[in-house]
Amino acid sequence: MSKLSTGRKASSNKLSSWVEPSFGDLFSGSGLNSFDLKKGVSLGETKSKAQKTSTDPSSQRPSKRRPFPPTPEPLVSSGSEQSQDEPWVDRHSPCSQVELAVHKKKIEEVENWLKLHLNVKSEIKRGAILLLTGPSGCGKTATVQVLAQELGCRVQEWSNPTTVSEFRKEDVRETFDPDSRFNGFHGVSQTAAFQEFLLRANKYSHLQMMGEGETSGRKVVLVEDLPNQFYRQPASLHDILRRFVRTGRCPLVFVVSDCLSGSGSSRLLFPRDLQEELGVCNISFNPVAPTSMIKVLSRIVTQEAARSGSRVTAPDRAALDLLCTGSSGDIRSAINSLQFSCLTGCSPETTPWPVKKGKAAASAARGVSKARSKSKASKGSESLDSTQAIGGKDASLFLFRALGKILYCKRESCTGPEGPSLPAHLSEHQRDTLLVDPELVVEKSHMSGELFNLYLHQNYLDFFSDLEDVARASEYLSDSDFLTAEWSSRSTMLEYGSSVATRGLIHSNSARARADNQASVGFRPLHKPHWLLVNKKYRENCQAAQCLFTSYCLTPLSLQTELLPYLAQLTNPMRNQAQIAFIQDVGRLPLRKYPGRLKLEALTDRDPGTLDGDSEEEGAEPAVPAPTGPGPGETGGDQGADLPASQPQPTMAQALLEDEELVIDEYDSN
Amino acid sequence: MSLWVDKYRPTSLGKLDYHKEQGNQLKNLVQCGDFPHLLVYGPSGAGKKTRIMCLLRELYGPGVEKLRIEHQSITAPSKKKIEINTIASNYHLEVNASDAGNSDRVVIQELIKTVAQSQQIQSSTQREFKVVLLTEVDRLTKDAQHALRRTMEKYMSTCRLILCCNSTSKVIGPIRSRCLAIRVPLPSMEEVCGVLTSVCRKEGLLLPGELAKQIGEKSGRNLRKALLMCEACRVQQYPFSADQDIPETDWEVYLKETANAIVSQQSPQRLLEVRARLYELLTHCIPPEIIIKGLVPPSPDQGLVSELLGNCDGHLKTEVAQMAAHYEHRLQLGNKAIYHLEAFVAKFMAVYKKFMEDGLDGMMF
Repeated sequence: MSKLSTGRKASSNKLSSWVEPSFGDLFSGSGLNSFDLKKGVSLGETKSKAQKTSTDPSSQRPSKRRPFPPTPEPLVSSGSEQSQDEPWVDRHSPCSQVELAVHKKKIEEVENWLKLHLNVKSEIKRGAILLLTGPSGCGKTATVQVLAQELGCRVQEWSNPTTVSEFRKEDVRETFDPDSRFNGFHGVSQTAAFQEFLLRANKYSHLQMMGEGETSGRKVVLVEDLPNQFYRQPASLHDILRRFVRTGRCPLVFVVSDCLSGSGSSRLLFPRDLQEELGVCNISFNPVAPTSMIKVLSRIVTQEAARSGSRVTAPDRAALDLLCTGSSGDIRSAINSLQFSCLTGCSPETTPWPVKKGKAAASAARGVSKARSKSKASKGSESLDSTQAIGGKDASLFLFRALGKILYCKRESCTGPEGPSLPAHLSEHQRDTLLVDPELVVEKSHMSGELFNLYLHQNYLDFFSDLEDVARASEYLSDSDFLTAEWSSRSTMLEYGSSVATRGLIHSNSARARADNQASVGFRPLHKPHWLLVNKKYRENCQAAQCLFTSYCLTPLSLQTELLPYLAQLTNPMRNQAQIAFIQDVGRLPLRKYPGRLKLEALTDRDPGTLDGDSEEEGAEPAVPAPTGPGPGETGGDQGADLPASQPQPTMAQALLEDEELVIDEYDSN
Repeated sequence: MSLWVDKYRPTSLGKLDYHKEQGNQLKNLVQCGDFPHLLVYGPSGAGKKTRIMCLLRELYGPGVEKLRIEHQSITAPSKKKIEINTIASNYHLEVNASDAGNSDRVVIQELIKTVAQSQQIQSSTQREFKVVLLTEVDRLTKDAQHALRRTMEKYMSTCRLILCCNSTSKVIGPIRSRCLAIRVPLPSMEEVCGVLTSVCRKEGLLLPGELAKQIGEKSGRNLRKALLMCEACRVQQYPFSADQDIPETDWEVYLKETANAIVSQQSPQRLLEVRARLYELLTHCIPPEIIIKGLVPPSPDQGLVSELLGNCDGHLKTEVAQMAAHYEHRLQLGNKAIYHLEAFVAKFMAVYKKFMEDGLDGMMF
């Protein structure tokens, strides 16, 4: 990775650098800058424009990475600018384990795995797959690169062949290059190309081993950028992987960022059963811890300050902390924003760009904006807003913590008699100020208000001690469900619904009304809601009941509440096995004190908080009676025989509406 | 062997056990030729369906009893496939359109259209119309009911509708006014007892009068339920004894236990247990409305409220009934039943607890 610091040209062309250089826009904008200045646009506007454009790529997932467009030659070029051009993320990419901002244990885990599977002699002839997951910017790729370097093996990386021209580069590492090596690849789908890549990666390593020494022949295949087709058809990837595992020789490392919104591509692409089947080792990375991030940031700051002298104003510790919290564990975005804040910190006089002229040219009308930009610049990254505007990632909360914030409802102890207190008859509603903003919490939890409410509902009782409070809280929950009931106004009312539920819960917990009596609850485990499962079962059972017992010609209500329970008690022979099983399951209730059917499923710290299957559709979605279990078709034959004489004998006919047959030969007139 | 309910179901209007006068009227209706649309309503287990089948037999003869169950799939204009089970003979088609949920309108239109367009083969000796029997009309959406209104008029020449429901309050006025409404009330206690005794006699069993009366009371005069109960009694113990326990369904016992749990202790922990029990009931196909309903004390068999009401005092009763009504309404409008069920239980617990505490302070309870 030491080649990375060789120069701008290399970095701008390098596809396989561990992080996307995100500042191309800014620096290609240096030309734009001077152009703007001619027109007299103030400095602040330009900068904000540049900021806007550059924050976007930094928050993108790395798998979405696109090759970096070549930087146009800046109009004003000086010797010192060249180093400034290179993004700090590239310049300061880690080259040893010590510099990695990842937890030691994780590095060790990955290292052990790599060591085990790189050991050619002892290796069983099977391809091994490692899956690295974690939020973006937590150092997954960097870890692999650094470890590969230290273990002395090469990294062969797959990149999606988007356009042919972008792959024509003389990179030292073997990037997959369809154009130069495999001419037949022009019209081939990405999926096929990917398969071919894996195949050749295997073979190639074999050939290398013959010619050269053993150490240089060792390599790791790294896949970060999966062909899009796999997201649509994960099965095709699975097939390729199965083949790889059978034939593969070198370890294959997948790096997949997981996102909080729950559409977890890692779960889609690498389902649990596949992982077990192929022996995929999954190591999940955590967001970078604030301490190690601070360490890295301050190292970079000191290096930069030493290198460029006065030009880079080093932000102080508080600013670093701010950056740290703003990036929420994404070290790439943290470094990017660090570079930015250092740049905004430099005063206009020392910038290499001729700002003074522009300032002079600015008209009086723009004085206001100029003043603002100036004050902003002088403040640097100290104010929260500006930092957030530069590199702030959307902070997000894991569900576990979001629920905790609502249920524990931390309050601020009010100091001094500032606000007017409620009159005596309302004094029971007096609450101290909340420390959390419920709406914000729900928003950060990245889930729909309804689902969040279900989680709250499952868990709120543990946090209440007074029954009056419970009654009030449940009333609020009922209200909030009521709000979102009507599908036509659902989308607009959804937010109100979650607001009512969260605030209602918080308010009605009078035991936690004061900041000083909050310690009483202690830790309570949280659980996943049962409702979705219960509701699904309810609907399935109802449908099954109707399908299995059509011959009784009853309305669902009397079928479910009268016939089925009594059938369970009667010795009446059933028609078939499915009916017997169903009666035993549904007609009977366990008359014990505690029902055992529903197991509490504890919610763990990192759970993404989405439930499988049909979560939200009930109500809006009509219950389409699909024949569950053995449908009418199976029950057909022997059904007629047992039916009562009065209950007219049904015979089955799987008839579509059109070709409905008419049996007229039995016709018999009076 | 089939259930007694089915085995001894009367098959012709002349053989009905009760409401004989109504039976005669229906007979006359058939004979006078001009047959209107019918809206048959009445509580569950009163014999609506039995009467309708008798009526159809009267109309078409025994051929109407040759039924086949059909699994139809209908494609809605939105290209959505709707699957629905129908029961049909050559002369009529029975369908519960509310099974199709929100798409019930399409089901009604398509099915009636198909039936109406296929003419009777031999209309000289046969009625010139077919019958479409729609059950649970009160559960149809408003949309479907309006569609039904139009369809009714359009195919009057070839098709008659018999609508069957528990209550007309949810049937829109235009439909009610287009139909001849026939109310089938519950049989009286004596009639229930009579039916039970005669069924037992046909089975060769001797049913003591007291037991028959008890069954009648316990079933809330729901004849279907009474017969099922009677058969369950037979399984449990024979020869019958006058004071034997009448087996209740599991869910009723379970619901009672739940109510006891609520009354015996009021705390958040208990509410958590109750919630688990509610979930259990729901997974066993007991609709949430049934769980919360059953207000009227004479039908003590159904519902949480009636169980709870038994434990309440006069003043409290009105309050609880009002709460229950409130939450049942919510249940209908809302989305996720458990919120409302639980809110009701929580509220009841709070009120009941307060009531008990007050009672201890003041007068004797």
